[in-house]
Amino acid sequence: MSLSKSTAPRMRIARENPPPAPRKSRKPGRLRRTASFWPQYLAVSPFYVIFLVFLLIPIGFSLYLAFTSWDGLGPIKFVGLQQFRFLLKDPTFWLALRNTLIIWLMSTVPMLFMSLVIAALLNATKRFTAFYRVAFFIPSVTSIVAIALFFSAVFSQNYGLVNVILHSLHLPTVNWLSDSWTIKLVIASLMTWQWTGYNAIIYLAGMQSIPPELYEAAKVDGAGAIRTFFSITIPLLRPIILFTVIVSTVTGLQSFTEPQVLFGSAAAVNPDSGGPGQAGLTLILYFYHEAFDNNDFGYAAAIAWAAFLVIVLFTLINWRLVARKEK
Amino acid sequence: MPNPQRRRIHEHRRAGLMRNAARKAETTVELSRRQAIRAGLLGVAGLASCGALAACADSGGKNAPGSMALWYWSGGLSPNVVSDAVKRYAAQTALSSSVIGGDFKQKLMTTMTSRRFVPDITGIKGEDMASFFPDADQFIDLNTLGAKKLKPQYLGWKWDQGETADGKLIGFPIDIGPTAMYYREDLYAKAGLPSDPTAVSAQMKTWDEYFAAGVELHKAIPATYLVDNAGDIFTAAVGQGKQRFIDENGNFIGDQDHIRAAWDIAVKPITLGIDAKINDNSWNGNVSNGTVGSVIGAAWHASDIEQAAPNLSGKWRVAANPSGPSDNGGSFLAIPNECSDPALAFEIITWLLDAANQARGFTDEALFPSTPASYALPALTSGDPYFGGQKTIEVFGPAAKNVPVQYTAPADNAVSGPYFNELINVENGSGSESAWNAAVSQAKQIFAQQGLG
Repeated sequence: MSLSKSTAPRMRIARENPPPAPRKSRKPGRLRRTASFWPQYLAVSPFYVIFLVFLLIPIGFSLYLAFTSWDGLGPIKFVGLQQFRFLLKDPTFWLALRNTLIIWLMSTVPMLFMSLVIAALLNATKRFTAFYRVAFFIPSVTSIVAIALFFSAVFSQNYGLVNVILHSLHLPTVNWLSDSWTIKLVIASLMTWQWTGYNAIIYLAGMQSIPPELYEAAKVDGAGAIRTFFSITIPLLRPIILFTVIVSTVTGLQSFTEPQVLFGSAAAVNPDSGGPGQAGLTLILYFYHEAFDNNDFGYAAAIAWAAFLVIVLFTLINWRLVARKEK
Repeated sequence: MPNPQRRRIHEHRRAGLMRNAARKAETTVELSRRQAIRAGLLGVAGLASCGALAACADSGGKNAPGSMALWYWSGGLSPNVVSDAVKRYAAQTALSSSVIGGDFKQKLMTTMTSRRFVPDITGIKGEDMASFFPDADQFIDLNTLGAKKLKPQYLGWKWDQGETADGKLIGFPIDIGPTAMYYREDLYAKAGLPSDPTAVSAQMKTWDEYFAAGVELHKAIPATYLVDNAGDIFTAAVGQGKQRFIDENGNFIGDQDHIRAAWDIAVKPITLGIDAKINDNSWNGNVSNGTVGSVIGAAWHASDIEQAAPNLSGKWRVAANPSGPSDNGGSFLAIPNECSDPALAFEIITWLLDAANQARGFTDEALFPSTPASYALPALTSGDPYFGGQKTIEVFGPAAKNVPVQYTAPADNAVSGPYFNELINVENGSGSESAWNAAVSQAKQIFAQQGLG
């Protein structure tokens, strides 16, 4: 007590008589202080440098390219809005957009539903939990090219596993990689297979943060497993569901590798055209085809930015839909 | 917001492990609006510096003297000839060759745009040659190095493919792809068709005669079809004409009779039910199990068939392409402006591609020579055991000399895409007429788009 009393006046004196010199040189002082953190800035700089060089500059450059015509080698010619005007009239662009949305719907809806179910099952298991979690997560860390090659073998017309099974059951075989709908089905099932486990693990993490008392209370009130799932698990998982819906929208609308690997090599004359009937031509594959097969970088950039707008639009729609329910 | 497209492209080439991290990164950025705005502003700043960079890059100089880099792809040149060239020119320059994997054109273009590490000599694939013509000023005109006097030693039509409309020689001929009919001798005989190459060539002179034989073949052996897919027939039929999809004056002519005729030829095996409709990765399997009775393909196709069906050695033969040969594939060597010593580079090219070395290329990599003098050399005149000891040069030699001269526009390859897409639709049940109309209208779209530049 006495100690605090004796120090108080001294402190006041110090405040009343601030040293005048530092005030004038405050700016350099702050700079010096900032500079004294150089090891920390240096430590975080690789990320920002790489981010700038490999992400921000390319993004800016692609925006610029969308208003130009460029074959990748010659001079860049500014054409204003012509690429976008062309885009609106280009039936292949609309076909690619339609394909992308259909494949996205065909993959995301069953994927997230199955993820929830699997997460609930995982949450209920008592034995081998680590094994199950790893097993479901493995597809998402597997090379997508390897998965696509595997799927192309499984769905191959003459020797594919699926058709062999259909044949042995005396059912008619299907030309999976030729028909416009089955092509989309194969791509969608590939995406579903790869990402269901990933989303299930995220849901599982969410479920484990739900307080067990709620479940106990529900049990006491006589609620069954299904009632508990829909009345407790789902409502409390909403923020997590919002997260997975947005992630799935962003990645699902960018499907590229799947159709590229499935159909890229089939035609040397006309590569990356999305397979028979261009049924597997997604927006990003169309962008890639225009840029790197047709060397039409200006138009390709316009497609890329159109795809970006579509993704933003659908992300916002999803956000609104899921977030409103939250209220 | 990230423009993730570009990254996604690279991503699929990298391991899938990265995918997960990228996913998370995208989400976090996506969720923050403020960050997105900041990113946009920075992007504009980046753009400004980029524009400056592009302007600066134009002053890129020549490669350092004393060494020379040669780029080709696996199978593009004979590695034995290349390593001999390294030894032969060791006193003048340190020649180093790189076999570039993946998409060759893309890597060459990227390197040339960056103007750093540009090869002194580079291969250019035949189908890409014309698309480099608008940027012919990035290459050295080989005529200025004395290429003209070598012209008589090479096939005229092939030479012309490497030359721009205003007479600059950009590409020096490596190999060619004269087409022929590969067929199963045993199956033709079983179906009661002529099976000796001379007889086949004589009796299947036209597409109609060839398809009529195919109907017989399929009737006798129901599991066997005459053609592998309609696109291959279309490629050959278009190649038989004098003109392609765009004429010398830059007009779209893909809706005219010559292309329509090729289209009708390609559709015919579909309507006759003799098309195996193989458009996926099952080609190899279908060749080896006898689903495919014949293939219209270039000389280099021989190695594809051999690899697909080692079990059928001795059962395939080669006959003349019905209605005449065409050219499919075959590449070029070019000298970019950055070349440290163009005169020496040209000397190396001419040595790599003289008649004797082209014959070695045929032995080593099935590169069919663009030098007619090679056709008399033992490497080509000896019989091929895979083809039952047949001297295939007797078919390919005359075919090589009779390939029609065609004008190929820079946008030709891009414009032709829709025809192949629509032929697959016809194979899957679309009407020929509606598919044709769709192909033409899409081709016109692409043509208009390419013409924007």
